[in-house]
Amino acid sequence: MNQPILKVKGLSKIYDGRAAVDNISFTVQKGEVFGILGPNGAGKTTTLEMIETMRPMDGGSITVNGLDVAKQEDAVKRIIGVQPQAPAFQDKTKLTEIIELFAAAYGEKVDALQLLKDVQLDEKANSFAENLSGGQRQRLSIATALVHKPQVFFMDEPTTGLDPQARRNLWDLVREIRDRGVTVLITTHYMEEAELLCDRVAIMDGGKIIALDTPKKLVRQLLSKGFKKEQDVEQANLEDVFIDLTGKGLRD
Amino acid sequence: MLKKSLYTVLVFSRLNTRRFFRDRLAIFFGVLFPLIFLFVFGGISGGNGKNISFRIALLNQSSSAFGRQFDAQLTASHTFKVDKTVTSLSAAKDKMGNSQLDATIILPPGFGDIKAGQSYPSGNAQVVYTQDNASAGQTLTTVLQGEFNQINSKFVRHQEPFAAIAKPLNVKSLTQFDYTFAGLLGFSIIGLGIFGPVNVFPELKKQGILRRLHTTPLKVWQYFVSTMISQAIIGLVSLSIMFAVAITVFHLKVVGNYIEIIPYLILSIIAILGIGLAIGGWAKNERQAAPLANIIVFPMMFLSGTFFPRFLMPHWLQVVSNYLPLTPVIDGVRLLVTEGKHLTDIGPQLGLLGIWLIVIYLIAFRVFRWE
Repeated sequence: MNQPILKVKGLSKIYDGRAAVDNISFTVQKGEVFGILGPNGAGKTTTLEMIETMRPMDGGSITVNGLDVAKQEDAVKRIIGVQPQAPAFQDKTKLTEIIELFAAAYGEKVDALQLLKDVQLDEKANSFAENLSGGQRQRLSIATALVHKPQVFFMDEPTTGLDPQARRNLWDLVREIRDRGVTVLITTHYMEEAELLCDRVAIMDGGKIIALDTPKKLVRQLLSKGFKKEQDVEQANLEDVFIDLTGKGLRD
Repeated sequence: MLKKSLYTVLVFSRLNTRRFFRDRLAIFFGVLFPLIFLFVFGGISGGNGKNISFRIALLNQSSSAFGRQFDAQLTASHTFKVDKTVTSLSAAKDKMGNSQLDATIILPPGFGDIKAGQSYPSGNAQVVYTQDNASAGQTLTTVLQGEFNQINSKFVRHQEPFAAIAKPLNVKSLTQFDYTFAGLLGFSIIGLGIFGPVNVFPELKKQGILRRLHTTPLKVWQYFVSTMISQAIIGLVSLSIMFAVAITVFHLKVVGNYIEIIPYLILSIIAILGIGLAIGGWAKNERQAAPLANIIVFPMMFLSGTFFPRFLMPHWLQVVSNYLPLTPVIDGVRLLVTEGKHLTDIGPQLGLLGIWLIVIYLIAFRVFRWE
């Protein structure tokens, strides 16, 4: 399976004389879920946007499935799917029409209802997008990003602002997408999300990648340095209590 | 490849059009708003001068038979609306002072008496008016004099060596409504074509909707062409309603051929839409879009003859306004619709509009931003 699909080399972006992304390099393997972690302002979104062809790079190179992002913008767009941080859709447009619209942007016709079913929105097929909840909007956004069967799927903080049920549902969805053979690149600042979902993570701070490995290895490295939590870890936390009490069922 | 590109355009224009007709606010501003203007301006210019009437007070101080007869005649006339509640000059002055009356006609004592040695009645009627109503007063005097001339000729027969004889030609001249209607079509085209995109685009950018579309292979030209198609459809619906109202309510006579009118309207809609696409496509937010739109739209609207005909402007202004993009739209529409000209006759308008179309879209493509 070790077959690189995304190669980033020496990537940089300068904003107002400050390096928002500072000479970073990493490779993502086909079929893995790769996480970019970091506090706000670490350069996660800027990195993602350069890979998505949305921002010109100030240095370095990116290839997606062998295509040069700087030179083959159009071909790259056809094999990537993009989930923006805060998805929004034109109002007065039905969900099926939104799917149809995005498919048409690639020149393709799709079974809109099936795609909505994949993200559990088939019951809302005839609603307008403005009547969706936050979690539903995220799921619709995922459906629109998959209309053209992309090879790499970029998700920018997809679970920010969602309730625990909607977040768990989205995790399941990400796993389903991975199981279809789609490579997923996800940014987040929720560590437990990264630990549960990602095969490997890169931790960014100040525009640089300061660590890159599987979550398990990163934890082991820390422990080997003699790190100890101040308290004994409980077998459950408050979120487990919350889910136990309220159930896993989606609420929107 | 081209087939796929066109499929994209068709789906976008279909969904765009459908969306418009679901949006009550858009329908109000795109369809009903110009219609309201049509009623207001059509009402003002309606009747084409045939219904001009004067609101007057009539103070009959004479006691002659002729005076009574003349009084009755004026009161029955359509040209004069006599306010019977006014019976004194001071009351009349009050009402003239606050423009409730245009003028007062006084038939003085002795008016209509038959003077000694004459076989017919005579006298002078006075037309009293305030300074602010000078034009109405003078017109009224002329009208009244005309009435007297007819009466005079019945009493005194004499040969007039010279006379001007009116000979109406059998050619339809333009009524004021013809100008108004062409101007209002222009107003409607501006409302849809410029204010539509100028309101919508900054919102689409703010929410990141255009940006999301930009992560797909969608091209600017596809987006523009689909907008053109849906705007042409929406515009034709809106203008058809205006035509229907103008024809049924305001008795507009469409002399021209719809097969020529419709393509010219579509060309106009698309050309003017380009201005909206350029402004909305360039602006990052409403604060950039709205002032720029106003700076461009309002002078153009007034100078191109939207609300009053250009021939009323000073010559130099006419020369300048000749070259504005909206001018060939309004002039061309009027020439085709009410003057019965053909597309082949309006070469200058077609040419100017064509040049503007190219210039506007070159700019629009150049300045378009997805976010």
